[in-house]
Amino acid sequence: MSTDFFTAMEVSASGLSAQRTRMNVAASNLANAQTTQAAGGGPYKRRDVVLASEDLPNTGEMSGVVKGVMVSQIQQDQSPPRLEYDPGHPQANAQGYVAYPNINPVEEMVDMITASRAYEAGVTSMSSAVNMAEKALSIGK
Amino acid sequence: MSSDFSTVDQLANAMTFHRERHAVLAGNVANVDTPGYRPYDITQHEAEGGQLELASPEGAALQPGAEPGAAYSKTFDDGGNLAGPDGNAVSMERELAKMDANRTRYATAAELVSRRMAMLKYAAGDGSGG
Repeated sequence: MSTDFFTAMEVSASGLSAQRTRMNVAASNLANAQTTQAAGGGPYKRRDVVLASEDLPNTGEMSGVVKGVMVSQIQQDQSPPRLEYDPGHPQANAQGYVAYPNINPVEEMVDMITASRAYEAGVTSMSSAVNMAEKALSIGK
Repeated sequence: MSSDFSTVDQLANAMTFHRERHAVLAGNVANVDTPGYRPYDITQHEAEGGQLELASPEGAALQPGAEPGAAYSKTFDDGGNLAGPDGNAVSMERELAKMDANRTRYATAAELVSRRMAMLKYAAGDGSGG
């Protein structure tokens, strides 16, 4: 036996957890959209989640076809900070500019929506597996 | 002469195939945001070596000598033109539609097994309905 319903559920669960991470990171980016002094100095840098597919163990002849997903890294966006002229700000430089994070709230909202839709799709695929298992269990009833 | 349970065996093979296909499709959905991911799908081989069109669970079930897990061929999805800027070629709608169809086929096969068993039970009970 190469795969069972638990394999399908494991695959869906990996997708759900990856999308939840995306959601957390997008929320963190939004929360820090005005953070001018982050740990390590300078304004907060936008974080981006990089996903990678992974082979599940014990899938037998289905290995290489049944793919889960994992967060391979959370990388910092190295694009330059947004400069705003505000000479009265304590973080302003000699020219009176304050470096704000390279975060576009609209972009983060779009990210959250796509993560949320992908999460819903994962839930659908998991309930499909549960539904199929129930159908199998009802044989002979 | 085939045994009374050969239909059930064949339907069980079809159910195994659809169960495994579900895991593959679930993997595609999970990887909807993975850069460079190409969606997979599996098909069953016909005895002659050609691809069997899985239009119905009966079609999947009635092929001779199907061994669960043995007759599958790995195939790339035909999502080649759909690849986005990050190389991901998963279409969520497509995968969910395939998953739903797959689930229905599985349910049909399960129902057919149930009815076949009910028939055998009826026959074994001398038609007394037990």
